[in-house]
Amino acid sequence: MPKHFRPAGKKKEGNAAKYITRTKAVNYLQVSLAIFRKLCILKGVFPRQPKKKVEGNHKTYYHMKDIAFLAHDPLIEKFRQIKVHRKKVKKAIAKKNRDLADRLLNRPPTYKLDRLVLERYPTFVDALRDLDDCLTMVHLFAALPAVDGERIEVKRIHNCRRLSHEWQAYISRTHALRKTFISVKGIYYQAEVQGQKITWLTPHALQQVLTDDVDFNVMLTFLEFYETLLGFVNFKLYHSINVNYPPILDPRLEALAAVLYSVPELYALCRYMSTGSGRAIGNSDSGGVNEKESGAIKENEDGNNKASAKTDESELRLAQLQHQLPSNEPGALMHLVEESTAVDTDDDETKECKSLFKNLKFYLSREVPRESLLFIIPAFGGTVSWEGEGAPFNEIDEDITHQIVDRPTQSHVFLSREYVQPQWVFDCVNARIILPTDGYLVGRVPPPHLSPFVDNDAEGYIPEYAETIKRLQAAARNEVLPLPGDEDLDNSLVAAMMDRTESNEAAEKKRKLEMLEKQYHDELKMEIDGVTFSNLSNKKPDKSQDTMDKDDAKSDHEDEKKQAEKDNDDISTALMSRRKRGLYKAMEIGRERKQDKVELLKKRKKNADSSASAKRR
Amino acid sequence: MGHSDGEHQLEGDDLSADDASWSDGVWSEDDDEGSGSGSGSGSGSGSDADSDEAAAEESDSSEDEVAPRNTVGDVPLEWYKEEEHIGYDIDGRKIKKRDREGRIEAYLKNADDAKNWRKIYDEYNDEEVQITKEEAKIISRLLKGKTPHGNVDPYPDYVDWFEYEDKGHPLSSAPEPKRRFVPSKWEQKKVVKLVRAIRNGWIKFDKPKEENNLYLLWGDETDTAENKRHGLSYIPAPKPNLPGHEESYNPSVEFIPTQEEIDSYQLMYEEDRPKFIPKRFECLRSVPAYEKALREGFDRCLDLYLCPRTRKKRINIDPESLKPKLPSKKDLRPYPKTCYLEFKGHMGPVTSISVEITGQWLASGSCDGTIRVWEVETGRCAKVWNVGGDVRRIAWNPLPERPILAAIVGHDLLLINAEVGSEEVQMRAKELLKIDEMAPQDNTDGKKPAVRWMKHEKLDGITLIHHKAVSNVEWHFKGDYFTTVVPSGDTRAVLLHQLTKKHSHHPFRKLPGLPVAATFHPTQKMFFVATKKFVQVYDLQKAQLVKKLESGFREISSISIHPGGDNVIVGSKDGKLCWFDTDLSTRPYKALKIHSKDITNVTFHRKYPLFASSSEDCTAYVCHGMVYSDLNQNPLIVPLEILRGHSSSDGRGVLDCKFHPKQPWLFTAGADSVIRLYCD
Repeated sequence: MPKHFRPAGKKKEGNAAKYITRTKAVNYLQVSLAIFRKLCILKGVFPRQPKKKVEGNHKTYYHMKDIAFLAHDPLIEKFRQIKVHRKKVKKAIAKKNRDLADRLLNRPPTYKLDRLVLERYPTFVDALRDLDDCLTMVHLFAALPAVDGERIEVKRIHNCRRLSHEWQAYISRTHALRKTFISVKGIYYQAEVQGQKITWLTPHALQQVLTDDVDFNVMLTFLEFYETLLGFVNFKLYHSINVNYPPILDPRLEALAAVLYSVPELYALCRYMSTGSGRAIGNSDSGGVNEKESGAIKENEDGNNKASAKTDESELRLAQLQHQLPSNEPGALMHLVEESTAVDTDDDETKECKSLFKNLKFYLSREVPRESLLFIIPAFGGTVSWEGEGAPFNEIDEDITHQIVDRPTQSHVFLSREYVQPQWVFDCVNARIILPTDGYLVGRVPPPHLSPFVDNDAEGYIPEYAETIKRLQAAARNEVLPLPGDEDLDNSLVAAMMDRTESNEAAEKKRKLEMLEKQYHDELKMEIDGVTFSNLSNKKPDKSQDTMDKDDAKSDHEDEKKQAEKDNDDISTALMSRRKRGLYKAMEIGRERKQDKVELLKKRKKNADSSASAKRR
Repeated sequence: MGHSDGEHQLEGDDLSADDASWSDGVWSEDDDEGSGSGSGSGSGSGSDADSDEAAAEESDSSEDEVAPRNTVGDVPLEWYKEEEHIGYDIDGRKIKKRDREGRIEAYLKNADDAKNWRKIYDEYNDEEVQITKEEAKIISRLLKGKTPHGNVDPYPDYVDWFEYEDKGHPLSSAPEPKRRFVPSKWEQKKVVKLVRAIRNGWIKFDKPKEENNLYLLWGDETDTAENKRHGLSYIPAPKPNLPGHEESYNPSVEFIPTQEEIDSYQLMYEEDRPKFIPKRFECLRSVPAYEKALREGFDRCLDLYLCPRTRKKRINIDPESLKPKLPSKKDLRPYPKTCYLEFKGHMGPVTSISVEITGQWLASGSCDGTIRVWEVETGRCAKVWNVGGDVRRIAWNPLPERPILAAIVGHDLLLINAEVGSEEVQMRAKELLKIDEMAPQDNTDGKKPAVRWMKHEKLDGITLIHHKAVSNVEWHFKGDYFTTVVPSGDTRAVLLHQLTKKHSHHPFRKLPGLPVAATFHPTQKMFFVATKKFVQVYDLQKAQLVKKLESGFREISSISIHPGGDNVIVGSKDGKLCWFDTDLSTRPYKALKIHSKDITNVTFHRKYPLFASSSEDCTAYVCHGMVYSDLNQNPLIVPLEILRGHSSSDGRGVLDCKFHPKQPWLFTAGADSVIRLYCD
């Protein structure tokens, strides 16, 4: 009897019954492969790894229950309808029945994905947990060229832009941003929402090229789901901070946004949100509001919401009015609201993040990545403006403390402010302290930008600049600054910190010296001991050879030590079972590989240092 | 093809043209004929159709035959208006225009000839043609609007082919009813209804497109039962790796590989090659767009929906925790640790050593052909025999009153008096080693005897000449019997000898595989034979196989029995050592992979719970092996020490190891011709 013989009439069992190959699944569902793919993506069905691959090793296996799950979804019927509809249109066009074709095209079958979102993420936290890919994808598509005739609809790109800005506005508003990192691939952000760490990547704000080596159908299907998901997530998040969700934006800024690669949209959103949340507390300033201009603003059609909509508009107007007054600081309202809302629910980290750039005023030159900085600086409590239309304040503002520039030289310099490179902001955010600006001044090569996602201690190699930052952080922590209300607070802070660091360094040096001295003494003692020992063991070393002998002895001793260690290792592994020994060896290999990497880094560092010092000479 | 066809056509035309040209002179005849036929037809108007048809055919064919003389084709003739010729004939000669007839001449002709009205001028060929009578008749009929031929009947009698007289349903010839021409009332009512519905807004065209209405999808999250995901367990996709320092736009210098390193990546396999090569930009504005951004996004999508997912348990433990908990070495003292003495004197690799049962003497055999006896305490060489041949193995008789050495020299076994101890003892040994000059040959069947006992003249001992080379010798604990192993496949592979009777026999049947070593049970009448893969345990009294221990090794090299007798250790040529608890199972209780090369010998200590193994990798292992009298407790095995010190020579390391019978000391014999004593 063959090994896998199954008598007729007996059902399949085990892996043969539980798993189904992809081709069989497609046949089972009676759909085309493209539709199957789409279904899988939307429903979040993925292949699984059976314990035993009954049909062969090179095939993809789906769980039978997953396939049944797909088969019972109404979506499958919808996709069939779409297919039929497409056929009808094609036929009408082929028969030159333009009328019918137009009528059909006007009414394609549509479907909604909200049910699927809830099905895949029954709780909001589940959705947040899986949001990384979604955000990265939406941000990627937001950076693609919105050009008609390309493979992607312009509408969707605009939608992606809107969604990403809404998300960023929320993060910025709630000060949930934790880490940022400029990599070659783009800018990484990490935020913490409801205890979930969410990391996403934004491409650099440069023109992306649509390559041919990707299948846009697959990506667009993913995007379809992600757009819906992010829409609902945004809704929930906005709802949680008492802001109406499809946000009503300042029309002027919105118009600008449409023209200028949507940069001020984020700003508009931020302002909208801060005013919107003000409503919840009950801002009583709405009395002096001009109702006439309400026509310029989108109206909320729902009758029930009419009253609230009116207050919305009024606050928006207020914000606009304030913004139009030149002397008024645009952030004033924001700060007013925030201070009153300083809820105690904020955890320590949020508080820390909120106050990092407090009382600092930034001005962005036109060459810096504006979108990213407009997102980060308010997220850490700073006020920001930019060069261009719709800016809340302009360059000649006296209160500006930092101007962010990225050019070889700065021609006109205000003495009251510091000119720093954009990296400074990112490094400050990661270090959670205001770093000294010396290294980041205009025209200088900034210090290395380090990833905040790496655990240096676990990795075993700490870059030099990471140590410097650590020292600065320690210095900042030691002195709990009683915040004096003077204007050049940050300067004094930096100066103080510099002092602190210097003193720190001096202390360290002293400690090092002491250590060296102690070591010297110890060695002397050891030497004396060594001599007596060698005398005892009937050797007659003369003074000159003593040191050499000692070296030899030392190396021998080291060898022995190593040998002994190895022996110990061998002895302990001898009794392990084969499985455990294999595991142990694998771990050792991993450890060694890591060690090698660190060694390589150290070697490179040494080489670089030596070459640098040679150059200096 | 088409061209050639045309040519043929032309030729045919030529021929007919020729015919026409030379039949020019027989105009009248043709005329007559035509008139004749015309008269015939005229006379017999009621003649049968056949003749008429024939005439028609004839006339048609004659019409066809008359081919144009001119070859210019269908061109406007006014092109030749100014010329003297009207065209070319078939030979390419010009056809001259005839002189125009004057009007008078024409008139005269008309007057002269009655038939002149039938003549027609053919401009094309520049000639006059006379129409026949019949032709004239046809023309006249055509002019009247009649059929060209006179005998065609335009109104034949109607023949009704369709019969319906006796059929049930006659074809109706009723006129169309009025309702077919009047608009329908009911249709109109329907239309009115629709119009009203449209006007009242009951029917809507162009439904407003559904907006993606967003709402609070995740509402109250307190109900945990609702908030559970249905279906199979969801395995979330692993998150993408977070970027390290090297992915920074401005990494520190040590993360940037040198040019040589980048070049060396080319030598790597495609999979091993680093996907990302760090690069440094001086300032943020010089960072370009990442060209692989879309590609990487797409790859991630593919991973998400195409990669099979499983839950894998990843253990994150300290590797040290994998090591078994062993008792402290200090508690297991004493055991040999450090080299205390070196016995030097042999000139070649020391292949075997043996310690006298009192522990006073040590015998060693070497490849240089000598056997030496050393005093253990001092390291002094007491005796040297030159036996003239490689000494493979040496074994001291376990009785203190019998200082006899059994040594394998070359192919054979040699028994000699060790010449140690008191005079009386030595005398008795000498007595024992006496043998009759020629032992009687009891084997008379012509087969070579397995063993012959011979006197060794020079050394005053006995030689046991085996039929094949001997590989191993072992004494029984009572000192009378001993066994030798001849690695051959037949029944004479394992031999038992009795010293006092000078007798040998081979009690075992054929073994499974070549025997490697054989040894006696330390207390009972049992016998162990190690073949290459198994250890067979025989009961000597009942003469039967008791047990078969399966080592699972490829090739066993040595065997040793615990003094208790229930535990056996076996060393193999792949550097593994296994411990059998014969009470427990026939499979190894524990296997230790301790040596990297062949194990040459394994040995138990007689008193202490120690065992040792020596190997070709120049090390010897000392392990603690405690056997408890309680049957429920398994033996405790703890590796204690790796003894080093021997150096490799000729690829061989430590060749033998033996414990001191009373002290926790270990002797090792090395291929570097040194014997070492390791003490606590």
